[in-house]
Amino acid sequence: MDRTQRPRSVLDSLGEELIGILTPVSICMFTVVLLVCLLNSDPFSSASFSSIATAAYSETDSDSPWDKLLGAFLNSLVFVAAITVATFLLVLLFYLRCVRFLKLYMGFSAFVVLANLGGEISVLLIDRFRLPVDSVTFSILLFNFSVVGVFAVFMSRFSILITQGYLVVIGVLVAYFFTMLPEWTTWVLLVALALYDLAAVLLPVGPLRLLVEMAISRDEDIPALVYEARPVIRDDSRLVQRRVWRDRRSSQNDDDLENNEVVNVVRAEEDEQRSEISVPLIERSRPESSETFLEGIGLGSSGAIKLGLGDFIFYSVLVGRAAMYDLMTVYACYLAIIAGLGVTLMLLSVYQKALPALPVSIMLGVVFYFLARLFLEVFVVQCSSNLVMF
Amino acid sequence: MHRSFEIIGKVMTVAAGIGYALLALGPSLSLFVSVISRKPFLILTLLSSTLVWLVSLIVLSGLWRPFLPLKANVWWPYTLLVLSSVCFQEALRFLFWKLYMRLEDVLDSFADRISRPRLFLTDKLQIALAGGLGHGVAHAVFFCLSLLTPAFAIIALAFVTIHTFSMVIAFEGYAKGNKVDQVIVPVIHLSAGMLTLVNFASEGCVIGVPLLYLVASLTLLHCGKMVWQRLIESRNQSGPTLR
Repeated sequence: MDRTQRPRSVLDSLGEELIGILTPVSICMFTVVLLVCLLNSDPFSSASFSSIATAAYSETDSDSPWDKLLGAFLNSLVFVAAITVATFLLVLLFYLRCVRFLKLYMGFSAFVVLANLGGEISVLLIDRFRLPVDSVTFSILLFNFSVVGVFAVFMSRFSILITQGYLVVIGVLVAYFFTMLPEWTTWVLLVALALYDLAAVLLPVGPLRLLVEMAISRDEDIPALVYEARPVIRDDSRLVQRRVWRDRRSSQNDDDLENNEVVNVVRAEEDEQRSEISVPLIERSRPESSETFLEGIGLGSSGAIKLGLGDFIFYSVLVGRAAMYDLMTVYACYLAIIAGLGVTLMLLSVYQKALPALPVSIMLGVVFYFLARLFLEVFVVQCSSNLVMF
Repeated sequence: MHRSFEIIGKVMTVAAGIGYALLALGPSLSLFVSVISRKPFLILTLLSSTLVWLVSLIVLSGLWRPFLPLKANVWWPYTLLVLSSVCFQEALRFLFWKLYMRLEDVLDSFADRISRPRLFLTDKLQIALAGGLGHGVAHAVFFCLSLLTPAFAIIALAFVTIHTFSMVIAFEGYAKGNKVDQVIVPVIHLSAGMLTLVNFASEGCVIGVPLLYLVASLTLLHCGKMVWQRLIESRNQSGPTLR
């Protein structure tokens, strides 16, 4: 009585690539919120976090708001200046074709992040939950974890799920440490970085734009930490997921493909040695190519959507900082960031050139945070305390 | 750290918190896992719908901010509050539907371009369901997340049901020009909002909450009947041609 196989509807597979990038971003943000909630329940135990982002001014509770604002500005200025210098250094090294050195440095920085920051957070978690673990076992596990992570991030033949998992873990670790910055500094820093990203990618003299143009002209990859969603190839009957975006690139017309890349630089820091590790990060997205093969409204792209790890980190920092106030602000900021990411990807498919991924999301996130904090809370309390709902 | 917990003034265990949250959002979670997570487009619809309704709540709270905090135990300002909010949201629902029609046109022309069938009836119903679920989740999270209490979780569950399914009714009503469906949705929303005002009276929630659940089940029944009729209709139309 029924038809045997209904033809597949358009709705079945549209928007898959977008979900493929939204899921890890959401997981990263959720994990950071979880860590913030678990580890920050005791406000008196938070140690002061000293890093280059607080070099100019360290906030204390007794300062006036104007002082705090001024101090936050100074901190952000120092941080953005340091990042600019590091990015120009990266551009120089890439220009001189020291790619091998860059790759080694990336591996080293990934190892340091996983071992050092990962170890610190693990210790905090063990302390919080009173897990019985001895130090020998712990160091062996940590060492193995970090080494596998370095391999996962740099060997191209590694299982994609593990690579993606490790990249998300690196993002979570760095983001958690950034949330420990003082409050005003965090917000001003996020806005400053969004503006920096805008300038560095769109201005002709911006370092990221130079980097992207060099990479395109040489047809090379920038050695960087990039999250790559699984590329999807479709047969008529089922989905086959393979990691073939490199092969596809060579087999298709150059007219059809354009690389749109955005590079975002992030800096991971350690407390003790005050050494700085700069980790360049890329977002690249390929618009649709041949229509017979794929669907494209801007949602379906050939190959993978790649998002730089810096974007993961700063989205999670924003949401983590919102979590320190209330869960309502987390909810508002999460939706704002996702909306910003969607808008950015749509702009990318319209403008077909390198676009920064941070500004729209961060701006929306900051706006929604302050709106939620100022307006929503009072309204909700009014209604909730009287069991009024609509 | 969490201002909400200060307001309650008691220590809430994690297990209790998760329990209350699941009470309000459990059915939506199962709807999500079984229907929405299968199709990526529906997840995107859910997210955009939640965003739209969150923005509407922000606008409402911005508009009402100068008048808050309201005097305690006086119930008529709350009537105004509920009335204005419901009117605003129903107007927004109509706009949302207009936007959805544009999207449907885009999707249909896209489907023609890649020579795939146009949107089926079930697709349209699923999109409406995702939109409604977004509405329900936005409201439940907004009202319920800060103050996780059992009373609120129970009320939120009723509202999630109402919002989820009235969106389906509304979309079909606007699409077919069916006056009954178009009118019944604002009526349901308004009556549900007004019913919560009953909670002001002492022991009012003993009457208010069951009535609320009555409204929720009415919504469910009406939606189910309407969807069943539409499906039968469309099967009769297309039945003989498909073999």
